[in-house]
Amino acid sequence: MSSSTREEVLRHLQTVGYLQPALHKQTHAPAPNAIDHTLWRAYTRPVHDIGGEADVPIQFEEKEEEQWELNTFATCECLAWRGVWNAEERRRRQNVDVGQTQYLGLPYYGRWLLTAARILVDKQYVTLTELINKLDEVKKRHEQNTAR
Amino acid sequence: MATGIGDPQCFKGKAGASKFKEGDRVRVKDLPDIFYTRTMTYTRGAVGTVTKLVYESPAAEDEAWDNTDNPEWFYSVVFKQKELWPEYPDLYANDTVETEFPERYLESA
Amino acid sequence: MSDHDHKPAPMVDEVSDFEILEMAVRELAIEKGLFSAEDHRVWTEYVHTLGPLPAARMVAKAWLDPEYKKLCDTDGVEASKAVGVNWVTSPPTQFGTPSDYCNLRVLVDTPTVKHVVVCTLCSCYPRPILGQSPEWYRTPNYRRRLVRWPRQVLAEFGLQLPSDVEIRVGDSNQKTRYFVMPVRPEGTEGWNEDQLTEIVTRDCLIGVAVPKPGVTSNAKRPVIKAIHPVHHGH
Repeated sequence: MSSSTREEVLRHLQTVGYLQPALHKQTHAPAPNAIDHTLWRAYTRPVHDIGGEADVPIQFEEKEEEQWELNTFATCECLAWRGVWNAEERRRRQNVDVGQTQYLGLPYYGRWLLTAARILVDKQYVTLTELINKLDEVKKRHEQNTAR
Repeated sequence: MATGIGDPQCFKGKAGASKFKEGDRVRVKDLPDIFYTRTMTYTRGAVGTVTKLVYESPAAEDEAWDNTDNPEWFYSVVFKQKELWPEYPDLYANDTVETEFPERYLESA
Repeated sequence: MSDHDHKPAPMVDEVSDFEILEMAVRELAIEKGLFSAEDHRVWTEYVHTLGPLPAARMVAKAWLDPEYKKLCDTDGVEASKAVGVNWVTSPPTQFGTPSDYCNLRVLVDTPTVKHVVVCTLCSCYPRPILGQSPEWYRTPNYRRRLVRWPRQVLAEFGLQLPSDVEIRVGDSNQKTRYFVMPVRPEGTEGWNEDQLTEIVTRDCLIGVAVPKPGVTSNAKRPVIKAIHPVHHGH
């Protein structure tokens, strides 16, 4: 492994520490008696359910669409068109199953994309090994193309 | 006629008799919200008025795991903002929110 | 996080983790026969044809024709056909889109009721007749606040309404998709359908703006640039 890999590893370990859970309490595997009903409900809630939460005004923005975002949308709809999942299963996976950190931390279509990858593995259309190998292949293919 | 996956038209006539009608006052039940729901927490326990019977469909809780065995009636319900948010200003007492619920979440109020 | 001392990464030819994963998923799905490359191509082409224009034209038609307005109010899917959108057969599936459902409700404003749409749970949006949703519509911020502080949020969009107007927020939480039919503004007397269509912007159809003579585009907002933007072929 190159030293740049080690740099990335160490940067990663520092970065994950910044991803704070939503509740500003001691949150590292507490004892059962530390979780009352209120906390239980907060932790187990479907994380997409955010209507009425307090927030401050922000600058509302438009965004140009990335090509990968459009491709992702098409992939997800084609998967539904051909019966791999229905829209409700997709929403459940990408808006709730991802958990709070990814839900708030990733771009909108980033969650669609991650979920499309996940369904292939979960429903055993591909093995995780195949996905990993494909990711590695795509990455190398691109690096070769740029090197030319 | 839509025959697509999940389209409400596919479940037409499959939910039996509807329990509520337009104009009924209903309260939203606070059923356990573990794993998945599309009945927002902010509506739970609130009383509103049925504006429309919208369609028949499986509830999201079932459809999200690809189970479409038990379609039920869906209702559009309107709430006064004041009913949802106690701090909502009296000056704007007419303001409302309208949203939809499967029958299982509603009881007569 | 705060790598202020690092130089920004070179953008040219940089491929993001999203792009790598997107290519991998699409290629695997096609290799495994879950859908075809042709399916993906025709779906992408279909998306390129979408935008808010058909919905704007529905509003203009309804302003000119009370009978059509009634149809919009009672059966949005049927009314869409008059502007060339068939919710069942326009998408390449020939059975509607998987995620939008054949179930459109047009929320008809009156002088005393102003509708505005949100989906607090995700960002459900009537894509077959409005196209892709704007970025701000997808933000947790808009979704959190609109159902509780609609007047504040609308004011931030430049829309301030008197207290005798009821603001009705439509939370698009299940299988109905909504767009708003605003009230025809003064100063448009004698206008034809094309002229009226021009002032019904996407923002008017979501309900965060109202049409005004002379205003034919959404309010200006910052635009987040894409690194590899979608190229629309036409």
